[in-house]
Amino acid sequence: MCVMVPTALLVTALLFCSVNGLLGSPAAMMLGQDASPQTIAELDAEYGFDQPLAVQYMRWLGEALRGDLGRSYTTRQSVAQAVGNSLPVTIELAVWSILLATSLAIVLNTIPTARLLITRTTAAVNVVGITVPNFMLGISLIFLFSVELQWLPTTGWAPWSDGVITHLRHIIMPVLTLSSYYFGVFSIVYRAELHAVTRQMFIRVAQAKGLGEWRVAFRHAMPNAILPVITFVGISAGQLAGGAVVTETIFSMPGIGRLFVRSIETHDFPTMLAVGMLIVVSVVLMNLLADIAYTIANPQIRFDP
Amino acid sequence: MIRPGLIIGPLAIATTMIVAILAPEISPHSPYRSSVDMLALPSPAHLLGTDDLGRDIASRVIYGARTSLTIGFGATIVAMAIGIPLGLTAGYIRGRVDTVLVALIDLFIALPGLVLALIITVMVGPTLRNLVLVLGFVMWPPIARLVRGQALAVRETVFVEAARAIGGSRAWIIRRHVWPNILPVVASQFAVSVSFAIFTSASLSFLGLGIPAPTADWGGMVRSGYDYLAINPLMSLAPGAAVTFTVMGFYVFGASFK
Repeated sequence: MCVMVPTALLVTALLFCSVNGLLGSPAAMMLGQDASPQTIAELDAEYGFDQPLAVQYMRWLGEALRGDLGRSYTTRQSVAQAVGNSLPVTIELAVWSILLATSLAIVLNTIPTARLLITRTTAAVNVVGITVPNFMLGISLIFLFSVELQWLPTTGWAPWSDGVITHLRHIIMPVLTLSSYYFGVFSIVYRAELHAVTRQMFIRVAQAKGLGEWRVAFRHAMPNAILPVITFVGISAGQLAGGAVVTETIFSMPGIGRLFVRSIETHDFPTMLAVGMLIVVSVVLMNLLADIAYTIANPQIRFDP
Repeated sequence: MIRPGLIIGPLAIATTMIVAILAPEISPHSPYRSSVDMLALPSPAHLLGTDDLGRDIASRVIYGARTSLTIGFGATIVAMAIGIPLGLTAGYIRGRVDTVLVALIDLFIALPGLVLALIITVMVGPTLRNLVLVLGFVMWPPIARLVRGQALAVRETVFVEAARAIGGSRAWIIRRHVWPNILPVVASQFAVSVSFAIFTSASLSFLGLGIPAPTADWGGMVRSGYDYLAINPLMSLAPGAAVTFTVMGFYVFGASFK
């Protein structure tokens, strides 16, 4: 919690200085190259761009904390509204991806197998999951399933109201793209823990009682090896944000990530600030939630503030 | 038994490096010269076809290795140059330096690397030098944390105590006793960091914040090829495969080195 406030302040301050200090006056950017210095100055005064950066920053912060994120320079729409519209898309993408990645990683790695070939194959798949860049995986999926086989729509977004099937057809490739990295990371963390757990006495006891290897694996070993994965869901939230930015750009999904990239492309300063802050705050919040989930899931740890 | 990663990793790294060094000799065409033969499919003259400006894709992929490796190694060296001294001092000397550094590391690690790099790149402008510096700046905290942890452990060993007992200075102990014992871990982290830098810079390029055209840059090539996926998919998939191959090589090597 104590990290969250300075981090958010640092990033927004950084963003603030970047646009104002280095890219020039937002007014000049809004009016284009033909604007006269006088009109730029007028607009500067109107928006308060002529005041010191620190003053402008404090004013923005005050308004942001009251829920007023300003208006977009390009669409003139309220930033809070644009963020509100994009947020559900990104949240849905992230939730599906994490669910898919964790459940696949846990189930696939719990299946008892003594065969070296299978162990090696899973290890290779994990490495591929971690190292394939999102954009490469996404484009390969589009090429295979949309261009060649024409099973799925290439890009775009269909809300739930367009029908469940249409919705799922649009979201399946983005979810696969985003979850691959997490699948790899979660697998590695889970396997290491599972390896340690299966050497413990109670597993030997369960085996000695004559339980089947599947039952031992899923009922005795798995619940005891799941904890580190929960923590990792929180730790990897930052990566998830980055991955969502790329994934939404590939699939033209109207989410937070694409809003961010577009605001950067168009120098839409208020949107950039708001989304940048939102990403940082949610990443820190995810870390906190993971800590809480960890203490709930493991009664041995009592939260000690 | 030797780990497969210790063979596959160096092989992939060596391949990319040889391709990068010999780029002028092995590329069939100039990576920059455009022709009227646009978006051609693979043929004996153009092994991977041509892009939307009629440039030979194979040559551009070959030259792209130079850009990627420069950024990968450059950024990692910058990150190490910041992270190692900070980690060593904090871990060995402890005290107030340590407290401040740990707070700083925690703050940075909470930030999403790609998003942070995106923000700073917008701020300073995407040139090769800036990308190296920005990525180095984004990547130093995990390195400092790793080195600090290792230094903390080595500090408590008997041989460091002995070195202190015979009157060795701090600088001498760190240089002669602490650092050599941390080196293997740092070497493994070096490879992983290079893979992260190449991965992140390619993602930045894909988002349109990479090295500006016409430099051959894998992430940027994937992006421009994306629009022509139905005409010549190799325009996008070939540089994409090159990024994946290189990132995987460095990652696998670093991970199995530990």
